[in-house]
Amino acid sequence: MLTRTTSNKLRILSLLLPGLIIFGIFTIYPILKLFIMSFFEWDLGSMFEQSFIGLDNYKNVLMDETFRISFVNTIVYTLVTVPSQIILGLLVAVYINNIPRLKISFRLIYYLPVITSWVIASLVFKYIFNTEGLLNYFLKDILSIAENNIRWLDSRIGGLSVAMLLGIWKGIGWNMVVFLAALQTVPKELYEAAEIDGAVSFTKFKNITIPYIKGTILFAVVMLTIGGFNVFTSIKMITGGQPAHQTDTVLTWMYYKAFSTGEFGYSAALSFIIALVLAILAIIQFKVLKRDS
Amino acid sequence: MRLKKHILLYIILLLGVIVTTLPMIYMISTSLKPNGALYEFPPRFFPSISEITLENYRYILNEGKFYINFLNSMFVSTISVTIAAIVASALGFCISRFRFKGRKQLFGFIIVTMIIPGTTLILPQYELAVKLNVINKLSGLIPFYVAWVIPYSTFMIKGFVDNLPHELDEAVYIDGGSIYTVYFRIVLPLIKPSIASITIFNFLTAWEEYPWANTVINDNMKRTLPIAISGFFGQHQFTQWGYVFALSALSLIPVILVYIVFQKYFVSGLTAGSVKG
Repeated sequence: MLTRTTSNKLRILSLLLPGLIIFGIFTIYPILKLFIMSFFEWDLGSMFEQSFIGLDNYKNVLMDETFRISFVNTIVYTLVTVPSQIILGLLVAVYINNIPRLKISFRLIYYLPVITSWVIASLVFKYIFNTEGLLNYFLKDILSIAENNIRWLDSRIGGLSVAMLLGIWKGIGWNMVVFLAALQTVPKELYEAAEIDGAVSFTKFKNITIPYIKGTILFAVVMLTIGGFNVFTSIKMITGGQPAHQTDTVLTWMYYKAFSTGEFGYSAALSFIIALVLAILAIIQFKVLKRDS
Repeated sequence: MRLKKHILLYIILLLGVIVTTLPMIYMISTSLKPNGALYEFPPRFFPSISEITLENYRYILNEGKFYINFLNSMFVSTISVTIAAIVASALGFCISRFRFKGRKQLFGFIIVTMIIPGTTLILPQYELAVKLNVINKLSGLIPFYVAWVIPYSTFMIKGFVDNLPHELDEAVYIDGGSIYTVYFRIVLPLIKPSIASITIFNFLTAWEEYPWANTVINDNMKRTLPIAISGFFGQHQFTQWGYVFALSALSLIPVILVYIVFQKYFVSGLTAGSVKG
């Protein structure tokens, strides 16, 4: 019996090991390393020579005006894009769920932006919103709403708005698919009972659909919040943080500090702060999720 | 009444379709226009019929680098998703079925790493890549992509294995089968569709990955498509939008193909974690 369990242990280990090794070296080690790096003065030039400076990096990050701007930008991005994606995705899902034909075709098309890469989608948005681009032409020369070409990408609000618009455009499809699946779990009898009671569409939606898919909504909030904090490629491609780092998000600012000015210690502390903020947010959201379900 | 409501829904959905597809249609229409130096005036959504040209595509395809970038992307994505499928399904199976030491901690780590944005780890990962001497190599991408997708893939596989009845395993054990028999003969064939869906997601992740590839790869010949596109974009003082969008459209073709062929796996892969049955 002993040999049997020992050999089973070995078999389990043999199945676990390949994954554990890759996960350990390329994910767990970097997490620990990030934590260590954040306490050292450490830069790109002297990668292997560092001196311990305690919490100085954290102090520098938190006192930094540009970090604060990038943090506010990230929060704004998340607060705007998360609810917009959920509301629009849910609306599309409900509409698709209520039509008799072409459900699959609509689902197929609405999901297309999700599979379009961030790099490509960002460039297309940059092209459309450029000062000499298509949108300004419509606003100025065709609709005559604007007097001059609007410099969308040259201001903090403008640049961020374009990135947020892209985020929403790209995210609706994912929400639509997730909510469509959730809607299939709502028992039809509930709606029928409500119809007998004379409930109108909106009442049914509010009193039956929403409570029933609450768990899925919270799941989406958690995933999209992580995604909001992860915004990087779109900002980098569309504004590059310009003008003067006004449109940077925490990650593009972190990347700039690491790879353009070479301040690894600073960037490590910044990364760690972001990871911590997200972990705390996620724990709170999971707690709410658990309590409600 | 019902008909009226349906027509209204179709109209709203069609309007949404226009907004959804507009940017991509504009991209393709621009790639079919003659390559003006900067912005055309007046900008037009569609080129006139006589204007339509494949000049931009010809340029990209003749330049030769495209094939190398394409093959680089294909190589990196294929190898990464294959390794990820193998290790993540074994991890997911073990975590679901056995109560080994450290199981809780391992699963906890997996959840935590799903929460941390991948880009926050770019710095220590870069330091690791330097130490391992994989900067500017395709092998500097693959293990990192695998590690990147392991948490979500393992999480999904574990969920699927959780739903498989234990009776099948027990029957094998009574017949004197080992853990290997259960895994390879029973579980793997049953979770094939789940493995397919995580593989498709992982493929798209690797295919479009930008921040890490942009950090590690410098050499023109080692570039994957996303950084080839962004490099093209930054290369000239005046962006050659026709070329950029022709290259973009070409790089989207495999994605669209995968998407259409494996449609059903997309839905099952996406929704498994989100809906409590």
